[in-house]
Amino acid sequence: MSLTKSNKKFKWALDFNPKSRTSASDLPSPPGYSQSTNANYTESSKETDSNLLLIKKLWDVALGPLKQVPMNLFIMYMAGNSISIFPIMMVGMLIVRPIKALFSTQSTFKMVEGTQAAGQKFVYFIGNVVNILLALYKCQSMGLLPTHSSDWLAFEEPLTRVEHIGGGISMI
Amino acid sequence: MCIYEDQIGKFDWRQTYVGRIKFSQFDTVSTARKLIVATEENVLAALHLKTGEVVWRHVFESASTGNIQLLHVSDKVVTVTGSNPYLVRGWDSTTGILLWEWSLTLQDDDRADFSEWWVHQGLLVHMLPVFNSHIEVTMYNLLTGQNRGSTSKLPAAWVNDGCVLSPPYYSCVSGNMGAQRLLSIDVTSSKVQLISQPLFDYLSLDVFEGTLKPLDGNSVLPAFIIDDKKIVIVKDNNFEALNIAEMSASVTIVEGLNGPMVLQAWTDDNQGFKLSAHSVSTGKEVSEIKCSDPALRIPEPELGAVLCTKTGNDHACRIVVNGADDAIHLMQQGGRVMWSREESLANVVAVEFVDLPVSETDAAIESEFDQKEGSIWAGSVRRLHSQYQQLQTLLASLQSDRDVVHSSTEDLVRDYFNLHKIIVLVTEVGKIIGIDNLSGEILWHHFEGALDTEAVAIFTRRTARHPPYDAYLSIVGKHQESGNGLIISLNPITGELVGERVLQVDGRVLQCALLHQPDEEKLHGLVLLYDDESVQVFPVSSEHLVDDMYLYVAEAESAKVQGYALKYNGRTAIAQKIWSLDLGSGGHRIAVSASRAAQRTHSPGRALSDRSVLYKYNNPNLVLFITEGPDPVHKDVVRAVAVDGASGAVVSGAVHRRARATPLAVHADNCIAYVYLSDKYRRVEIATMELYEGKERWGTPGAPFSSFSSARAPAAARQAYIVPAAARAPRAAALTVTERSLTDRHLLLALSNGAIMEIPWAFLDPRRAPAGGGQMGVGEEGVLPYLPELPLPAEAVLNYNRSLHRVRSLHTHPAGIESTSLVLATGLDMYYTRVAPSKTFDLLKEDFDYHLISIVLVALVVATYSTKYFASRKMLKMAWK
Repeated sequence: MSLTKSNKKFKWALDFNPKSRTSASDLPSPPGYSQSTNANYTESSKETDSNLLLIKKLWDVALGPLKQVPMNLFIMYMAGNSISIFPIMMVGMLIVRPIKALFSTQSTFKMVEGTQAAGQKFVYFIGNVVNILLALYKCQSMGLLPTHSSDWLAFEEPLTRVEHIGGGISMI
Repeated sequence: MCIYEDQIGKFDWRQTYVGRIKFSQFDTVSTARKLIVATEENVLAALHLKTGEVVWRHVFESASTGNIQLLHVSDKVVTVTGSNPYLVRGWDSTTGILLWEWSLTLQDDDRADFSEWWVHQGLLVHMLPVFNSHIEVTMYNLLTGQNRGSTSKLPAAWVNDGCVLSPPYYSCVSGNMGAQRLLSIDVTSSKVQLISQPLFDYLSLDVFEGTLKPLDGNSVLPAFIIDDKKIVIVKDNNFEALNIAEMSASVTIVEGLNGPMVLQAWTDDNQGFKLSAHSVSTGKEVSEIKCSDPALRIPEPELGAVLCTKTGNDHACRIVVNGADDAIHLMQQGGRVMWSREESLANVVAVEFVDLPVSETDAAIESEFDQKEGSIWAGSVRRLHSQYQQLQTLLASLQSDRDVVHSSTEDLVRDYFNLHKIIVLVTEVGKIIGIDNLSGEILWHHFEGALDTEAVAIFTRRTARHPPYDAYLSIVGKHQESGNGLIISLNPITGELVGERVLQVDGRVLQCALLHQPDEEKLHGLVLLYDDESVQVFPVSSEHLVDDMYLYVAEAESAKVQGYALKYNGRTAIAQKIWSLDLGSGGHRIAVSASRAAQRTHSPGRALSDRSVLYKYNNPNLVLFITEGPDPVHKDVVRAVAVDGASGAVVSGAVHRRARATPLAVHADNCIAYVYLSDKYRRVEIATMELYEGKERWGTPGAPFSSFSSARAPAAARQAYIVPAAARAPRAAALTVTERSLTDRHLLLALSNGAIMEIPWAFLDPRRAPAGGGQMGVGEEGVLPYLPELPLPAEAVLNYNRSLHRVRSLHTHPAGIESTSLVLATGLDMYYTRVAPSKTFDLLKEDFDYHLISIVLVALVVATYSTKYFASRKMLKMAWK
């Protein structure tokens, strides 16, 4: 008890001269080892449980696409509007990644059967949709979307005529 | 645009012509014998005696200053050209190099046209008859033009306009009816010697007119023909009549072995071409020169130069015969034709490209797929039958390969890219000629002397795509004498007359057109509009197909345009005049009219840089008229008016002040281009126009275009460009045509320096504007900033160094392959080539390495299989370890 006392007093002080030789089993705990605190700590972590951690982790995953938005905006800004191989590759990545992610939503959230699963899935879905919209906006500003009538000009049927004419300078 | 050196002559050919022969003489002096000819086209040329090819050629001015009055060949070639002032020139006969030249101006300009020229004893004799008064004769030194002595005047009150010259005698029939005398005078002799005889000494008294005709060719004796009956030779100051004249034969007197011979050539309706020769002194027929060939058809043969030499005891003659169809033939004494030249091709008036039929086996396969009806069994029987036929033809071709040489008509089948066609040409003289476009070889010809080709239209009424029906082509012209319409219908592949054959209609044809709907036999009806506004349809059975058909007729001189609607009223087709337009206010006349080329429009608009669409004004009935006329302020004014040919609405226009029109205008899609001469700047300019509906479409997409649905005027973009160097004035213009109009459009301009330039439409784009002007098209993608001068780089010359003289027109036709357009230039020379305006994007390159690619393929296959084998062996070894 005295030891604990002195321990309490001087936490890091080591007494090399014990007053009484006690048995080996009575050895003091290693320095820095506090049984009480350790027990306390494990007690508390066991209480919060893995469930909470999982939810937190899954929220991280669910919010991932939304967190990417600023980064994507920056990439889009840096890519510019010119049509060349790198911007096209970047835009391609931007549009392909969220679509892939959307298709793999089920597998991403496979292990979850929690109360918040629906919300997470929804947020994840929203985030990816936002990313797709961003990519489409980029495509549009690059002029890659066939939204104008000029883009469909080549598919028009050739002109047909109602009247047929002939003639020329008088042959007389 | 450019081609490589080894591609010369691969896609193109040029044929040089000289025109209808006026004078011909053999060059017997130089070692390489030639035929020297001078022609109606003002061309002096030397033709190779063996092949008929042009050895050298000089093309003089096409105006009267280039008219050839005399050709004299001795050791040098001497010509007299022009019409007061005259140019006397000497040429080297082997090379055609000009040796000397002097000019001569006659005082009496009015009567200069009656001048006669010949060479007498090294002196150039000029004779000028003054009717009912005297004859003026002047002699000049041929080389220097020095006048030896002055002009001598021979009194001859008996001279009239019916006189003929048979050097050196000048002969006339003079006197009152019944007491006519035949008079002749040697104009070169120093003393006046008049030969005078009563005419009835030579002709039976019953009927005679007393018309004199000189002999053809280069007669060795002075002689003439009276009334196509009697040949009279002037000999020792006396007349000597010969009783051997054939009716309307061409006669000449040539030097034979036993003195002079009278040579006659004529065409008998039944017996074909005939040739005969009689000795002048004995009147006996020369047997070896006689010829009678029913297969040879030379209309109205005319003898040219004749050269007879001695081989053993026989004559060996070379006879030049010139037909009324402008063809020139060189014959031997027996009538064997050594070579012929179709000189009518120097004057082509109408051109049509005709597709060839597919081969018989292909046609059988096509017809098999055409037949939709029938049970599955009938279908399979047909299938087996056509396969059996294919097998038969295969066997037949294997057998025939050994002995039979394929005739040229058998090879006349469509090729895969439809590049092989037949070009049908109508020439001014009335000869219709079919030419193979790849070789330039003449396949058939048909002479129609009654055809007046002043205004001629040519229509393909049925293509060869409709077996079992043959192709059908009609030519509409005028009859030479009556002025009524003349229709010639033939099969353009073989040249045989079909259908209406040669048909003279009862009435003067105002205009003609093809019906757009074919009948059951896939034949398009031919509509004729007569001057009394009645309509006739050929064949009559397709009269009920006349529907939605409009005709416009423009009068060139008064610039009045009339529009007719053609209808079928249940019994017959009628024409109703629905509009009339006077473009001739202020004395304008139409220089040229260009209706829109009947080709499909690829794109209904042009995409702009802001991704909106500028919609084209796609009026298929649009007609362009270029008129010119005087103006009180601006001297001359050129107007371009675009008129809707169906409704008569004026769609757009442009005016150029102080300018004169040229007959060059092209019109395709919504693009218009025409050439005019700017008097103000004394240069040639080309104006272009494009018509647009604007950024909003007028109708609904895909709706058919009707001229009567909208009265809105389209927006027009206009621009003018300078054709640099006035000396290279354009003579002909055309736009390239391709099958689907996907390919770029290029303008072809034939220049007077003999080059055909290929100019991309991008250079002529009327939306080109100076930068910063704020006009339509500035800064648009593909629209260049405006530069007034058109670039005419030497590499844009289509015909590289093969210069073309006097190009009259350019014709383009699409090939079956989208990238390629076929081009034919006609004029004095004929030139054919093909152009690929957007490069040959649908063809492998000429130098594509087939060997390399096949070697690589084979190597890859070998490598694949060998590695497979080695790999399996290795696996086996590993397994044993």
